[in-house]
Amino acid sequence: MPSAIEVHGLSKRFGPVHAVDDLSFEVAEGRVTGFLGPNGSGKTTTLRVLLGLVSITKGTATFSGKRYVDLDHPVRHVGAVLEATSFHPSRRAEDHLKTVAIGAGIPLERVDETLDLVGLSEVARQRVGKFSLGMRQRLQLATALLGDPQILILDEPSNGLDPQGIQWLRTFIRHQASIGHAVLVSSHLLSEMEETVDDVVIVSHGKLVLQTTLAELASRAGTSTGMRIRTPEMARLITLLNAIPVAYRQTAPDMMTIDGATPEWFGPFAAQNQIVLYELVHDRGSLEDVFLSLTHGFDATDPGLMGGNHAGPGSMPGGSS
Amino acid sequence: MIRIMRSEWLKLRTTAVPWVLTGIALIINALLILAIFLTRPDTNGRGGGGTFVSPGYTVPHTTQQLRNLVGSGFQGYLFALLLGTLLVTSEFRHKTVTTSFLVTPVRATLVAGKLLTSAILGAALAVIMLVATVIGGGLTLSARGGSFSDLVHQIPAVAPGMILVFALFAILGVGVGSVLTNQVAAIIVVLGWFIILEGILTSLVHSAFKWVPTGAAVAAANLTRDRGADFGLFNWWQGALLMLGYGLFFAALGSFILTRRDIT
Repeated sequence: MPSAIEVHGLSKRFGPVHAVDDLSFEVAEGRVTGFLGPNGSGKTTTLRVLLGLVSITKGTATFSGKRYVDLDHPVRHVGAVLEATSFHPSRRAEDHLKTVAIGAGIPLERVDETLDLVGLSEVARQRVGKFSLGMRQRLQLATALLGDPQILILDEPSNGLDPQGIQWLRTFIRHQASIGHAVLVSSHLLSEMEETVDDVVIVSHGKLVLQTTLAELASRAGTSTGMRIRTPEMARLITLLNAIPVAYRQTAPDMMTIDGATPEWFGPFAAQNQIVLYELVHDRGSLEDVFLSLTHGFDATDPGLMGGNHAGPGSMPGGSS
Repeated sequence: MIRIMRSEWLKLRTTAVPWVLTGIALIINALLILAIFLTRPDTNGRGGGGTFVSPGYTVPHTTQQLRNLVGSGFQGYLFALLLGTLLVTSEFRHKTVTTSFLVTPVRATLVAGKLLTSAILGAALAVIMLVATVIGGGLTLSARGGSFSDLVHQIPAVAPGMILVFALFAILGVGVGSVLTNQVAAIIVVLGWFIILEGILTSLVHSAFKWVPTGAAVAAANLTRDRGADFGLFNWWQGALLMLGYGLFFAALGSFILTRRDIT
């Protein structure tokens, strides 16, 4: 059975620019997949290729094995929120949705339902020209949801949303996955997606850097990098540390960093030696640090470095967690 | 296809475009009707085109004068043309084309839907203008002592050709809009051709007139009289075919270009 979304060996060139370069990944049903990478890494192009808006130079991009253009009822199968899509400013919100519903053969009752779902019922009769960025984003989402699709593609959906809107979107996306729908959501910030995604597809310079589960990525992030300590007994602490094989740096008269130390080791050590501590901080790599090191450290001229190791179908998520 | 056409009509009528275009067309038509009544007849007894010597009123009464009055909105085909053009270009201007292509991913199908929708709307515009002309012109005519029923009798001679021409021009508009998706460029090219370039071309090469869209339209409009040959034009169905050919040529070219175009 084909995955909800399959991208295989996809390349897209705009003239001399390789926007997407031999990219392969899959999106499983019932899971939220974060499509992550810095701005300009080819995320939007990949999503537009999937939706048949941008032509393919090489490779395939399919939904349940079919190209978007070959789907019987595209809007009822796949819903999409894309950047750089807009509305006619003098058209009312509900009329915009009606044009889509009529064109796609969706009952008009869905218009009110989706407006209600995204919280735009009260402005249904307002012209879209007066809408804020956040309201437009909600209307985009309503458009994507009209056909109650099993697959959702969201390109930077939290742009323009206020904190409540972002929280609402998270809950909404999780709900979609819980009822078995596949969600592919792009972002240039992993931190924004940490609470939402199950799997991650990380791209940089149009190439796959890594496809894995969030849990696996998090385990990389958990690695301890050391302890930061503030103490009034600096001289005594230094004497004690000099007696054992440990690297430390004094960063201020009353502060130091001990490389590779963990609280489990340092806590008892300080207690045994009765050292007064004002501050004790465990330094640990964040998920965002891992993401940044993956996307920035990745050298486009060295494709074997990471993309090759993780791009194979063997490392696909879903079965592994 | 019905769905696409209904969607296209909803898209259009939820913007100001059709109402503004129809409004302007009717205002110009009203001015033209007024001009007919204010113009003295020339020696051939035809209304319009005569010199305005002193204030006075003409009351159209000959068959040709009455037909000219009924068909005074004929030049409104330019608005049918703009309607068709805007049906495509406004989608690009407001970036709604992404959504339209998501709903109808086979792009040629969307263009076909727009062609059919615009043909119907073009015909509808012709009907609106005819009705307005007959009512407005007819009332003025009666007030001036002319015969309303004489005017009504000339409708069958004028209306079919005018409706056909408006529909064909709307199709041409969709074709041109599909090729030139930039709204400003499309409007400039369309108006530039029909208001300036075509006139220059045909004044330089008289025989070219029967081949240009306006010549074809005038021939097609003679549907009920088939007098095209009298003016060195094609007969009505040849003119209509030529018009349709122009429209479909641009639409096919536009579909070809649009199908290959990346919507980013």
